[in-house]
Amino acid sequence: MEQRHIEFKPDDFVLVQQNVRIMDKKLETKPTTFMKDAFRRFCKNKSSVAAAIILAILIVLTILVPWLSPHNIDNVRTPEKFLAPKLFKAGTGFWDGTREKTHVVYDAVNQVPALSDKYSVAAIKQSLVSLTVDPQPELIDSASQYGTGGVIMLATDAAVNNKDVFMSSKAVDFTDKGGYMLDIVFGNEEDVGSSKLGEYCVYLKAGDRPEDKIMVRDFSRDYSPISFNISQAMKDHGMSSFTGQVVFEVRSTADAFRYILIESVKLSGGERAKNKDVLEEVSFENATLMINNADKNSQGYWSCSGRKGIHNSEIFYCNYVIDTYMLVYGDADLVTYSATELNNWIEKGWCTYDYTVGPESFVRLTDDCPVDFVESQTVLKVTKKLSSITARGWNYRKMGYDKMPSFILGTDASGFDLFKRAFAGLRTSLILGVCTAAFCFLFGLVWGAVSGYFGGNVDLFMERFCEILGGVPWIVVMTLCILHLGNNIFTFFLALCMTGWMGTAHRTRTQFYRFKGREYVLASRTLGATDKRLIFKHILPNSMGTIITASVFMITSVIFSEATLAYLNLGLQGVQSFGVMMATNQQYLGIYPNLVIFPAVVLALMEISFNLFGNGLRDAINPSLKGSE
Amino acid sequence: MGKYVLKRIGLAFLTTFIILSLTFILVKLLPFERPIGGDQQQIAYFDKQLHLGYVNRFEKEMPQYGTLLYKSPTEKGRAYYYYQVPVLEQYANWLKNVVFHWDWGYSKSFQPNVAASVIIMSRIGYSIRLNILSVIVSVPLGILLGIWAALKKNTVTDHTISTLVMIFISIPSFVLISFVLRIFSYRLGWLPSTWPPDTAMTSAKVKGYIIPVFCLSFGSICGYCRFVRAELCEVMESDYLLLARTKGLTRRQAIVRHAMKNAMVPIFPSILAEFIGILGGSMILESLYGIPGIGKLFVLSLNYKDYDILFVDMAIFTTISLLAGVVLDLSYGFIDPRIRMGAKK
Repeated sequence: MEQRHIEFKPDDFVLVQQNVRIMDKKLETKPTTFMKDAFRRFCKNKSSVAAAIILAILIVLTILVPWLSPHNIDNVRTPEKFLAPKLFKAGTGFWDGTREKTHVVYDAVNQVPALSDKYSVAAIKQSLVSLTVDPQPELIDSASQYGTGGVIMLATDAAVNNKDVFMSSKAVDFTDKGGYMLDIVFGNEEDVGSSKLGEYCVYLKAGDRPEDKIMVRDFSRDYSPISFNISQAMKDHGMSSFTGQVVFEVRSTADAFRYILIESVKLSGGERAKNKDVLEEVSFENATLMINNADKNSQGYWSCSGRKGIHNSEIFYCNYVIDTYMLVYGDADLVTYSATELNNWIEKGWCTYDYTVGPESFVRLTDDCPVDFVESQTVLKVTKKLSSITARGWNYRKMGYDKMPSFILGTDASGFDLFKRAFAGLRTSLILGVCTAAFCFLFGLVWGAVSGYFGGNVDLFMERFCEILGGVPWIVVMTLCILHLGNNIFTFFLALCMTGWMGTAHRTRTQFYRFKGREYVLASRTLGATDKRLIFKHILPNSMGTIITASVFMITSVIFSEATLAYLNLGLQGVQSFGVMMATNQQYLGIYPNLVIFPAVVLALMEISFNLFGNGLRDAINPSLKGSE
Repeated sequence: MGKYVLKRIGLAFLTTFIILSLTFILVKLLPFERPIGGDQQQIAYFDKQLHLGYVNRFEKEMPQYGTLLYKSPTEKGRAYYYYQVPVLEQYANWLKNVVFHWDWGYSKSFQPNVAASVIIMSRIGYSIRLNILSVIVSVPLGILLGIWAALKKNTVTDHTISTLVMIFISIPSFVLISFVLRIFSYRLGWLPSTWPPDTAMTSAKVKGYIIPVFCLSFGSICGYCRFVRAELCEVMESDYLLLARTKGLTRRQAIVRHAMKNAMVPIFPSILAEFIGILGGSMILESLYGIPGIGKLFVLSLNYKDYDILFVDMAIFTTISLLAGVVLDLSYGFIDPRIRMGAKK
């Protein structure tokens, strides 16, 4: 091993205090106070500091957002309900006010998803970002206005009675030269639901007498197509004239509902009868349209005394992404204005327009102008003068906005801005929490101090009182208070205080029991200190840390209690309430999850930060942990 | 010790009695709500109340008895007028009814003219089943997680568990339910989004238990985990454990034989207390998930303004919470021989 050689010379060392008298010296470092030390130790706890910062941000937001946000949270505005969260410009693809929906009924006629009637087809088309229609239709057994095809299902109404069903409520006159045909195609699918395929008959009916009937097919289970020559049958029956309806009759049985399926019916005429009602072809191919026909006077109307339904109606579904803001605030209606109107606006100074340049030259000058964009213009060919313009105006102007509003977190069922509403509610909760914590802190401190300091019978009596009041579950106290005093903010404060102070009192009492026998208290007492001085100067400062931390936790518990009560329908009324908002939005969890998830995240974040902050505070303030790290 | 136990139980009884009395009087002081239903039901209800001694019946109007509650339809030229009995007299009658007949009153609008005890008995089963299941799930899981975290103290495992516990313990139960419902019922569609009816298939019923049990036990798991970790960490740093190790026990032996036993002392009573405490069920969970337990009954009777049922429900919650306190106190003494119950300070 290599050895190192270190040499010391006499002048390497200097005496620090040679020929100087050693006396007491003032400390040169600054003395640290309790609070400074606590702060230093708090700062060492990284998670608590992070929590404190998050908490500070949330608190700043609760103060600023309700104050600065221009959005509406007071007047219900139904048209603006359920807007999607929008932070970025439309078209960004993320957080841009669009909402994706899957498996929505497709309106094949207008080629848009079937949305509420409030929105015009044009508005929906304009707002659609993307649309994919499932290529395979689904089969449903109910009549939908968007369905097509399917078969008519005639069924007995009750399991015991024979029921008649008719085709065409209007009697048709078959009296003519001939060639009237009735073509019916039946379906033969067994067992739809719990019902069963049944026996049926078809006949032409002119009146109630037996001889007024022409039987087409008697009761049977024959589901083969029918092609029936009415004119021939009339000849066979020796009838010269016949005016009637086609009647289907399904025989009921006691064991199950019976039905028949009819794919198509076609009643086609030969020649036109003179001076008679024209027999239009009474037929249907599209059973869904037929079922949806509610016009009793039309020739194809199917009146029915049993159950008339549809089976296997085809319905298409689609997935789409829609810009909810365009849908509500945009305007799809292109309006044509004449040149005179436009000139009128220009004269009034509302806008400027130069038709020789074209639609791009339109400049909107004041808010009075109803038009925002000019889409196209028509110029007279002969005079080369402007005849009309086609323009559109934004819907949001009609709703009182200067520009397209955008809600960071969307709107709820009442059209309220969720972001503002959440923070306004949180503000109420925080104010309530801080007030309650402050009151409970003061009251509990005094109560606990008296009880702990004096002990004996005073303590016994006060403890029993606490035991009884503390034995009532807080929910019972709250409920009784609210039932008696109404659910206003004062009642909440009162009820929360009633249950809250006992924790502080108990904690203070324990601390007092711990410290009142200590030597320094005894010394002070021997020197003649009064009770007041002993309590406030000597014992309290030592036990303050724990009590203050408990009060911080109190704030979170108040926020939590407020929300819990709202879920039990006892929510705070008359002020913005976080709990009431959450409880109301809960029902939209399935359709608009953002309405629940955002407040939930904020609340959880707040609770987590408060807890972490409180823990850090407890560790920092606790004198017994001083220097332990 | 026996004397202390008796004293403690006696005191709990007294407290319960005082609280229930106060609650009864406060509930009876609420404005009277008319029962729902036709005259038949109303008469049946008021006759029952008359029998129980909560209302007076007269054959003519008696304004000096306060506001008229109900006037029965005139029959054979005679109508009855019902007035409320003074609250303290009602209280005396209530005591008599409860003590001698175990009669807790009747529902007026929620399930008209059904006895409160019948309504409670038909619902309490759901709450009890749910809570027993949740205790069965949460106790072993919570304790295991806590032990794991304590054994791996100050490692990544411990930090992860502690942070997660910290986060999840801060999330309010209704938030948790919302998220669970959103993910497992609406998004994935694995579990039902409401409580299946009694007529449902067994498999559907079993599935229906998953979300409520999970939501109920989640908070307890976190609570136990934190508690067990703290206790075990404290015990592991104690001198006797060091002695056990120095005299040659392996770590496993020292922990299983010495640390675990001592750490469980404060944990076991809290399990017992929780077991009783959560019999009351979670009102929010029950009303959000549509579970027909006594927690939901609280919300329903409030909505129906059926205060007699509300009172009985409140009485149950109060009794359960007081009982849990007593059991907690007493079990400490039984489990931990170091604690002398009722010893002077």
